[in-house]
Amino acid sequence: MRTIILTVNGLSKEVSVNDNEVLLNVLRDKLGVTSVKAACWKGECGLCTVLLNGLPVKSCMTLAVEADGKEVITAEGLYSDERAKKLQESFVKHGALQCGFCTPAFIVASHHVLSKEPDIDGEDLKKELSGITCRCGTYYQIYDAVKDARKYYKKDH
Amino acid sequence: MSYNTPNISLPKFTYYKADNLTDALSLLKQYNGNARVLAGGIELFKQMRQRLIVPEHIIDIKGIEELRKIDVTDRGIEIGPAVTAVELQKSQIIRDKCPPLFKAAAFMGDRILQNSVTIGGNLTSGLPCTEGVPALMSMDSVLEVRSAERSRILPVSDLVLNIRKTTLNSDEIITKIIVPYNGGLSGGYLKLLNASEMAVANVAVALFSAKRKLRMAIGAVSVKPYYFDESTLGWKWNEPIEENIRVALNAIGSTIQPMAYNRVASAEYRGEIAKVLAARALKELFRGA
Ligand SMILES: Cc1cc2nc3c(=O)[nH]c(=O)nc-3n(C[C@H](O)[C@H](O)[C@H](O)COP(=O)(O)OP(=O)(O)OC[C@H]3O[C@@H](n4cnc5c(N)ncnc54)[C@H](O)[C@@H]3O)c2cc1C
Ligand code: FES
Ligand code: FES
Repeated sequence: MRTIILTVNGLSKEVSVNDNEVLLNVLRDKLGVTSVKAACWKGECGLCTVLLNGLPVKSCMTLAVEADGKEVITAEGLYSDERAKKLQESFVKHGALQCGFCTPAFIVASHHVLSKEPDIDGEDLKKELSGITCRCGTYYQIYDAVKDARKYYKKDH
Repeated sequence: MSYNTPNISLPKFTYYKADNLTDALSLLKQYNGNARVLAGGIELFKQMRQRLIVPEHIIDIKGIEELRKIDVTDRGIEIGPAVTAVELQKSQIIRDKCPPLFKAAAFMGDRILQNSVTIGGNLTSGLPCTEGVPALMSMDSVLEVRSAERSRILPVSDLVLNIRKTTLNSDEIITKIIVPYNGGLSGGYLKLLNASEMAVANVAVALFSAKRKLRMAIGAVSVKPYYFDESTLGWKWNEPIEENIRVALNAIGSTIQPMAYNRVASAEYRGEIAKVLAARALKELFRGA
């Protein structure tokens, strides 16, 4: 066991972990951050996506010790961001979910995309989100919700 | 812990974060045979979850600054193995001077994985479908490979032996990827995926106009990519492009031995698609020339 420090959604957390534990286990089981979902454990489904120092990564493929000293952001931490709040409202407005299992991952990834490219459209948007699977198949509603939220991410807003 | 089953949990190991190459190489030597280098982890952790390999020591090289750089030198373009697929696509040097690699990087897993996937890990995975090997082969690239004792140069075309098997020794690290051209190179990269997003064929082409050199690498059709140059393609610089492409496709057809792999595609289909992509890549390459 060793002690690592993670800043999770703005709060600094000290947590003891085994070297072979992935960030996904530590977030869900040791820190109670349950918006991060576990499904394939192969890097395929993307439901475990979090922002690590600002970049989306799949937390089932990232060791907790690799994240030592870094900043982790999940859907929980985005609720205090005004733009991300509007993005989440847009998901509701467009019915961009059925069971909702994939929603936190899509919120995290689309928040990242809109923050760097608020004009994104069409195939580019689909590509950016292609690492996340929605078993309920609400992709088109998700694209609409993200496109509708672009206005909140533009500088002049 | 509810995750203690194979395919989910990782076997036990000790993690080392190396901050310089000397440390990484001496750890690798100390635990030789029982240690693995960690870059993006995307292939390494997959193999460890399946218990295909169970190294007890994991040496993370992502914190080593010199392995994360892209430089233009008198040897050509030098790329650190820990550069990620996203960083390759953001680099103006790669965009301008290594177009096959620039385009190939966009296929190295999905956009989220591309924040983790490194070019060194992509090459060393030794998977037939990966993009790094054919893209770099088309530019005659070589690798600088080091162990604690020595350093050697290995052509990318000699790296992959078989599926998940490479010619690297267990105490060696790829420390640099060298593309031996600095400008004057145009090129392309095409890939066809089947409906479940598995690669049917990849084609990388590069043209060094000043030197009248044409290169092509065809990946995914077999365990390792096929390499062609102007002579094996039967290319004649004074013939019309259409005639050259016709001859080249014949040469490709009689050289490659496509395999049916993982139920992705039949051998015949693979062979046809390789030729279709090759023709398209050559047409695009010579459109402006
Ligand atoms: C769902 C999915 C789809 C994918 N699709 C594609 C695709 O279409 N095309 C594609 O190209 N890739 C694709 N990938 C990624 C590819 O399969 C590999 O997983 C990835 O390129 C590995 O890179 P990495 O940096 O994570 O390597 P790691 O997993 O860290 O390392 C892989 C191997 O290389 C060794 N290694 C790493 N760096 C070095 C070095 N510098 N010197 C010596 N040895 C080293 C490691 O010890 C390990 O054995 C996909 C991955 C997933 C999960
Ligand atoms: S659980 Fe991480 S990608 Fe599926
Ligand atoms: S809404 Fe059910 S998985 Fe996406």
